Amino acid sequence: MPNTLSRRDFLKVGGAAVGALVLGRFIPPLVAEAARATGMLDATNSGYIPTMCEMCVWRCGVLAKVEDGRVVKLEGNPDHPHSKGNLCPRGQSGLMNTYDPDRVLSPLVRVGKRGEGLFRKTSWDEALDIVATNMLKIKEKYGPEAMVFSSTHNLSQPLFENLLYAFGSPNYGTQRSLCFNAMITAFSLTYGVEEPSRKYDDVEFILMVGRNMMEAISTSETSELSHAIDRGAKFVYLDPRYTKTASKATEWIPIRPGTDSAFLLAMINVIVSNELADCEFVKKYVVGCDGIKTAMQGYTPEWAEEITGVPATTIERIAREYAAAKHNALAHPGWRTSNFINSFQTERAIATLNALSGNVLTPGGCLSAEMAAEGAGLGAPPQPPYPRVSALRLDGVPWKYPLVSLKLGVFQELRDTILTGEPYQAHGWFISRQNPILSLPDRAKTLEAFGKMDFITTIDIIMNDTAWFSDVVLPETSYLERYDPLLPVGDKAFIRQPVVEPQGEAKSALWIYKQLGERLGLGDFFHYADEEDYLRQQLASLGVSLEEVKSKGYAEMPETESSGEITFNTPSGKIEVYSETLKNAGFSPWPTWEEPPQPAEGQFYLLTGKVAQQTQFGTQNNQMLHKYSDEPRLWMNAKVAAEKGLADGDWVEVTSEVGKANVRLLATQAIRPDCVYLTPGYGHLSKGLTTAFGFGTSDSVLHVTYTDPISGGQALSQTFVSVKKA
Amino acid sequence: MSEIKQHAFLFDAARCIDCRACMVACSVENKIPMDKTRIWVSGIGVKGEYPNLESATMVYHCMHCEDPDCASACPVGAWVKRSDGPVLYDSKLCIGCRYCMNACPFGVPHYDWDKGLIDGAFIDKCSMCPQRIDIGLEPACVATCPTDALVFGERADLLKDAHARIAAHPYRYIDHVYGETENGGTSYLIISHVPFKELGLPELGPTPLKDISELIMGGTIPFALGWAAVLSGVAAGAYALDKKKEAKDKHVETQEELPAKTEATQ
Repeated sequence: MPNTLSRRDFLKVGGAAVGALVLGRFIPPLVAEAARATGMLDATNSGYIPTMCEMCVWRCGVLAKVEDGRVVKLEGNPDHPHSKGNLCPRGQSGLMNTYDPDRVLSPLVRVGKRGEGLFRKTSWDEALDIVATNMLKIKEKYGPEAMVFSSTHNLSQPLFENLLYAFGSPNYGTQRSLCFNAMITAFSLTYGVEEPSRKYDDVEFILMVGRNMMEAISTSETSELSHAIDRGAKFVYLDPRYTKTASKATEWIPIRPGTDSAFLLAMINVIVSNELADCEFVKKYVVGCDGIKTAMQGYTPEWAEEITGVPATTIERIAREYAAAKHNALAHPGWRTSNFINSFQTERAIATLNALSGNVLTPGGCLSAEMAAEGAGLGAPPQPPYPRVSALRLDGVPWKYPLVSLKLGVFQELRDTILTGEPYQAHGWFISRQNPILSLPDRAKTLEAFGKMDFITTIDIIMNDTAWFSDVVLPETSYLERYDPLLPVGDKAFIRQPVVEPQGEAKSALWIYKQLGERLGLGDFFHYADEEDYLRQQLASLGVSLEEVKSKGYAEMPETESSGEITFNTPSGKIEVYSETLKNAGFSPWPTWEEPPQPAEGQFYLLTGKVAQQTQFGTQNNQMLHKYSDEPRLWMNAKVAAEKGLADGDWVEVTSEVGKANVRLLATQAIRPDCVYLTPGYGHLSKGLTTAFGFGTSDSVLHVTYTDPISGGQALSQTFVSVKKA
Repeated sequence: MSEIKQHAFLFDAARCIDCRACMVACSVENKIPMDKTRIWVSGIGVKGEYPNLESATMVYHCMHCEDPDCASACPVGAWVKRSDGPVLYDSKLCIGCRYCMNACPFGVPHYDWDKGLIDGAFIDKCSMCPQRIDIGLEPACVATCPTDALVFGERADLLKDAHARIAAHPYRYIDHVYGETENGGTSYLIISHVPFKELGLPELGPTPLKDISELIMGGTIPFALGWAAVLSGVAAGAYALDKKKEAKDKHVETQEELPAKTEATQ
């Protein structure tokens, strides 16, 4: 291949050059036809096409290498701020999702009993007619609220929401209450932003509370953290487990589960009682700087030592080190913060620590709490207003959970009300790209809730467990075969586009929702001819052609003008360490200590947490990831295991209040003696998953349902188990 | 042509998070069968007793020696050290003798028992992705590494970088760049915060094993000749002694028997 640039230019140092080469040289344009027209593929249908990863929600930019119409390799896109040229193991293995031999490639209709796995293939017309007829039947007989809709974080979610709001149901289940409700609710109340972004450029002190960044990889952030540690930044990490992140920390504190907020409150106590905070910033921007000293009075390091098991001197020292780093200190907000019913308070304490360090909005500060005006610059197809919904939400928002936002919801509560039939009975469940059978706590209950349904339909690319128990399965194209709505990141809007032809009869979510909408009489809510037309309408105001975006991978967005004035989107316009909103709802206006329950004698905390090679409940059937993942075993402290007469590799029976599971034991030093740990996402029930079926065990069998009354988060670490030889 | 004279990897154990993106990237790029791998992770596991623990991992693949033992041991020249770094294997020439596997001090080349003479390929190992480096891309493992534990470039520059990192954090790293001199120098350089031996690396001197064996093998002919001379001397001595004895016992021996005995001795 002729090469006008030197090889050296393409090496990592000049990663952008790889993009330039790729875009300028290889990328010639449907997939093959369109890619050739825009210059992405050459005459042999080979080249690189920019798109976006979907192996987790970080959504890295990807350059897909295509050879003769087949994707053969994925590279991190150097132009994308989330990948910066790199991909994690899940991103690298993404093509095995597309080429999974277990892909569902035509619409299926159940012919056996639910869960028996007997289906017949059918046409899209028949499948969509069956789904629409059943949904309309339920709507007519019980009202639209009797249809439950659920879907997990994805780019076509706005269209999914269109379908559910246009249909008129208030019942929407997302993964959020099983994940980050505590973090988002706390930061929304304190800063008026859902999730502040982090900046590591000048960070000197990083405090992470169970954010296992080296295993729950967010490519660019993992990289930034790694480089910060490399530079010599102090990294204090709280986790009952010696994770890969703990092994990179300058100080690992194996804190007692559920007591993080005591540790953090004591840090706040040290900072405010010794007047170590950034007073100028605090006085100007924080509500509560007057009363905080009194409010935190009782939370001394000595008090916290009793609760957390961490020496008071350590807490005091860390607080002082944190304060000394001033606005170059970062208390990380975390991500999956559904741990205990007090996790909301943990997050409030984290929010407070950041406010005290003055790192927000300060030049060089480590936290950015600017309102993300996501999608503001993009157009959308015109549509009529949604019908008024008068029915109560089954998940108790807001009538039972006043502070949980409508967007977040309380999914586990929704499942429970399906079982009780109060305040009314749900009859149908429409699920897209979600696997509640494995993700919701207490799997037996979820299966029971499925049994209450007259009709269930699932959209997925493989026969996931939820699809296995459905009446109709609609096959979606994989992320390398489809378009999704554009995603703005910073000052660019990135594209996900097909890099290979869809296999079989699989269709994109945009197509499925539109087809279904039309059959439900809701066609007005889906004013686009096809996927490309939807994207063109999004781009209309930017004056950029779709073809240009396809070959470049993104569209530049107009710069949003900053007023220069610092205000926060809270009732006071300031950072609300003291929150009237919380007080008015009957909760403590200050971050406060709430004692979580503890395991009884002989029981263990059941911890779960990610590994670098898997994402939640949807990647275990990926053969490449299966190959490079460790066998999911139950971690137990080696000393405790020996005392119990258990050996590494033994089969053990794990019992919680709601279930039993058999799994092999990993006797390790890397965990507190009072905890056991299980990798989530394994133990699939669907025999349609030939790689994942029967491998490992599911934490959802064991998890007990507990909901935090403030944020609605499920307390995933509040399940206690006993372990004996199987 | 490339400006890089000598391609090399630099691996920093302190940065590796054992995510295995390199393993997946390599397998996809090089179309490695699902039951095989060209990269593996070795390390110390979790060492110590709770809560005083330590852990470190290392990405292990071909070291691309400057003067590779595999190439030296190969009787048919199936291994070639390319002048810009990679040690490459030609399955068409390979006869499957597995001498290279015994010769490699790092235990890198592995035999594919599923393939036979019919398929032709026997041995597999990391190739430094020549299909990528020849068009200016980094090897697949390096390009994807999220923490830059693996970087790629000119060997001399990387050596400088490695020493600079050690100098910047003397309390973090062991003051040695593995591969700078080991086995005559390798194109896979390693710095670490735990002893190299614990990462699974052999303790090797600056002389390639093959040079040691060549030294020995080079001495075999003189040694054989010398030994032959010694034995001849012994034989001659024995003969002379025998002659003396014969002369003494002449009265017992017959004249006809003597030449026959002499022939046997010779």
